[in-house]
Amino acid sequence: MPATEYQGSFLGRISIRRNQVSSLENNQEQELEDLELFQRHISDRFADLIVPAPDDPPASPHHHHHQPNPDNVLSISWLRKLLDAFLCCEAEFKAVLIMGRDPAHVAKPPLDRLIPELMDRVVRALDLCNAITHGVDSVMQCQRLAEIAASALERRPFGEGQVKRAKRALTTLLSLMDDKENTNSSFKAAERNWSFGRRGSGAAGANKDPHMANFRCLTMSVSKNWSASKQIQAMMGNLAAPRGNEASGLAVPVYIMSSVIVFAMWALVAAIPCHERSGLSTHFPVPRQLSWAQSMIGLQERIAEDWKKKEKKGSAGLMEEMQKMEKLGTALVDFADGFQFPAEAEKEEVAAGQVCELVEVCRRLDEGLLPLQQQIREVFHRMVRSRTEILELLDQASKAAANPVA
Amino acid sequence: MEEVGMESAERIILSWDSTASDEARDRMIFEGDRSQVHRYLRAVDQIHCATTTTCGDKVNGAIQIAMARLEDEFRNILITHSAPLETDSLLDLTTLSADSSAEFDEFSVDVDASPDRVLELSEGESSSRARSSVSYKTTKSIREVDLIPAEAIDDLRSIAERMIASDYLRECVQVYGSVRKSAVDASFWNLGIEKLSIGDIQRLDWDTVEVKIRRWIRAARVCIRVLFASEKKLCEQIFYGLGTAIDDTCFMETVKGPATQLFNFVEAISISKREPEKLFKILDLHDALLDLLPDIDVVFDCKSAESVRVQAAEILSRLAEAARGILSEFENKVLREPSRVTVPGGTIHPLTRYVMNYISLISDYKQTLNELIVSKPSTGSRYSGDPTTPDMDFAELEGKSPLALHLIWTIVILLFNLDIKSKNYVDGSIVHIFMMNNIYYVVQKVKGSPGLHAMIGDDYLKKLSGKVRQAAIVYQRATWVRVLYCLRDEGLHVTGSFSSGVSKSALRERFKTFNAMFEEVHKTQATWLIPDIQLREELRISISEKLLPAYRSFLGRYKNQIESGRHPENYIKYSVDDLENAVLDFFEGHPVSQNFRRR
Repeated sequence: MPATEYQGSFLGRISIRRNQVSSLENNQEQELEDLELFQRHISDRFADLIVPAPDDPPASPHHHHHQPNPDNVLSISWLRKLLDAFLCCEAEFKAVLIMGRDPAHVAKPPLDRLIPELMDRVVRALDLCNAITHGVDSVMQCQRLAEIAASALERRPFGEGQVKRAKRALTTLLSLMDDKENTNSSFKAAERNWSFGRRGSGAAGANKDPHMANFRCLTMSVSKNWSASKQIQAMMGNLAAPRGNEASGLAVPVYIMSSVIVFAMWALVAAIPCHERSGLSTHFPVPRQLSWAQSMIGLQERIAEDWKKKEKKGSAGLMEEMQKMEKLGTALVDFADGFQFPAEAEKEEVAAGQVCELVEVCRRLDEGLLPLQQQIREVFHRMVRSRTEILELLDQASKAAANPVA
Repeated sequence: MEEVGMESAERIILSWDSTASDEARDRMIFEGDRSQVHRYLRAVDQIHCATTTTCGDKVNGAIQIAMARLEDEFRNILITHSAPLETDSLLDLTTLSADSSAEFDEFSVDVDASPDRVLELSEGESSSRARSSVSYKTTKSIREVDLIPAEAIDDLRSIAERMIASDYLRECVQVYGSVRKSAVDASFWNLGIEKLSIGDIQRLDWDTVEVKIRRWIRAARVCIRVLFASEKKLCEQIFYGLGTAIDDTCFMETVKGPATQLFNFVEAISISKREPEKLFKILDLHDALLDLLPDIDVVFDCKSAESVRVQAAEILSRLAEAARGILSEFENKVLREPSRVTVPGGTIHPLTRYVMNYISLISDYKQTLNELIVSKPSTGSRYSGDPTTPDMDFAELEGKSPLALHLIWTIVILLFNLDIKSKNYVDGSIVHIFMMNNIYYVVQKVKGSPGLHAMIGDDYLKKLSGKVRQAAIVYQRATWVRVLYCLRDEGLHVTGSFSSGVSKSALRERFKTFNAMFEEVHKTQATWLIPDIQLREELRISISEKLLPAYRSFLGRYKNQIESGRHPENYIKYSVDDLENAVLDFFEGHPVSQNFRRR
């Protein structure tokens, strides 16, 4: 096939030697075709994940600004789409790398270095999956508190009892979100409404404090040293685009898959509160000029922007629903603080609208969180499976090299 | 009358509004005297009644204040009784050292190491299983513990009833969950289950992991059968009958985290790199989890707990997969073990010892492995012409379990590999001694283990014994044919025109050659070793049976010819007895002096 067929892609820059043995040439061409296809598919999947930003000008003048697109970047449904895309990429990667593969290929440089590095990233990703699943549990807890508040403010006109009830729940909610970094949420929740507390009041009080002090570190499910942001950083380390003659072989899909894993994990960690996210790197080590990476880099930049803007210490994650919940929660607490029965009609109207939005947010969480957890579990399973198969392939390769038969 | 009742009820509620008065904040109703408690609860009931008839802001305000107060009282009672469960006695940590199981060194075949050191084999856990049941009798089955005293439970329940009746279920559940979650976490971590990430576990050396697995098994039993079961009972005691599956919701809320954490450890083990040394501990883990599964199903029987049951089942099958993978890896390593260093003296190869010990242990675990191993080994095909894998026809082994077939296959590939290794010997004859020794060792090991013997079966053993005999025969041919060739009659008699008789020069040549050959063989093969005494003697006898009569008759026929010539001692160096003695040196494994003459 003439080289002009591949015009416009990086393959056009590769000169295919024409005087090779025909079967070898066919294999090589087939492989190059497969690689090209793989890259295109990856690119397509990430292009599908691009959503116009909420502050982009509306397509039509009748477009309601506050009618949120449920698929906004970092919304629950977007995260689920991301995971779907990840699973597709993963399946294709396996097809490219493993199916019908002669083990000797994966033992040759640079794969003999790149594949173990990929395996290392996969193991970190597995731990991140677990941490993120745990983080979703915290989100569920927030959802439940929000539901208390929302259902308290269902009936109008708002009575004092309702408002106080909502405020109690929202205050707990906001303090949970404040403290997400430490994931000692249950301790905080136990403490928060204990504000009229027992400090120093009698022997009984003194006895209780040691228990409370212990709760803080015990509710953490990972060791103190483990940190999501450090894991991401380690995964990004030595993630380098293949160059020179490496850029035409299997090093490319390995690099692409590595980048996809890193991106997916990074996005999830940014979105969902899990242990120790402070210091999450916003710089992504994938060069701009790679054609397949355009959409991914675009998404990454947007999320990084968001991160820098909104992520103060102890924020509840960039998940859109959580951000909304925080905003609405704060607004409603303010409303509650200034509330006196009967409320001003205008203020009540605004608050009622916010309650509506809160109900919608809760509904989306209710619908999406469990499936999200299941998807994360599915991602976990798949990565385990692929890792096992790749390790077997590596093993076969080293066996073949050491074959004792003369 | 009711008016007054309502008013005083409201007053009581308001007097305990902690947002309004310091006094209300500093004391807890349920820590005071019981009449106070009753009064308050009656007041709540009256307000509640009122809410069902009227719908005024005042009444709603009062109910909110009451509910908020009850929530705090609820929390307080729970926190007062949230000491972690005392589990040390249940864990019975003193049995840690007695709980031994098979330990295997890494698969590394070091020919230079002394044979006994290559493998450390301690008592299989299967034999210590009977022992361990004594120390774990408290955690062999579900045993619920009362976490909170009965009076407190009554109080909690009476609060819960009222909160739920006033539509404050969510708050009640939320408070319960947050306090009990911390308490369960504390008890959980007390059991010694470590917070290791998957990455951490991959990096640990396997000896360390084995210790952790043992700890986990012990802790998991207590965790599920005592800790979680007791939490479930507590939820039932407080919430049973108060609404749809509220007790289930609360239960899952409190234990979901630790349950996931518990299984995460096992999951991390199941995905670790497959190495033969790991098989038995992983089987232990598998069996422990299998044993726990019915109790997991009982404790986590509600619908919302499905994910836990599913995870447990998933992990169990992962462990099974890991076990299968490891066995496969083991077989692979046996086949491909590449060392070319020859064992001095043609004795037992470390690989042989390793493999036989390993499959002996496999037969100890056959109960579990028979369940897990369901497919036959994939052997080479006799049509593939692949020289790197032996082929094997399983048709002749009908009726054997897949596990038994795997064990036989393992022996087949062991011998195949040994055969390849034997080619590294320079001397042609030692090859056969080597093979004979090793195959015999296999036979003895199988015979010595009833479990192994039963699985391998007599038919295959017979085959192996046949190979031993065959090796002995080939050895004798390889070494002794040419030696005995010296003692033949042909070629010694000359018929010529002037005389017919024995050629003296040829005869002298014969004796000289025989002596040289025999000395060479004696010198060399004394350093060879046949470890098994019986086998050694049998072979020596077999040699003697051929050598001595041949020499005796040769001597008898031609002694005179030599002795009638010059320097007969140069040619007839040895008597039959000398040779007989010399043969006793063979295969002893150490060099000997060349002087084995009696005279």
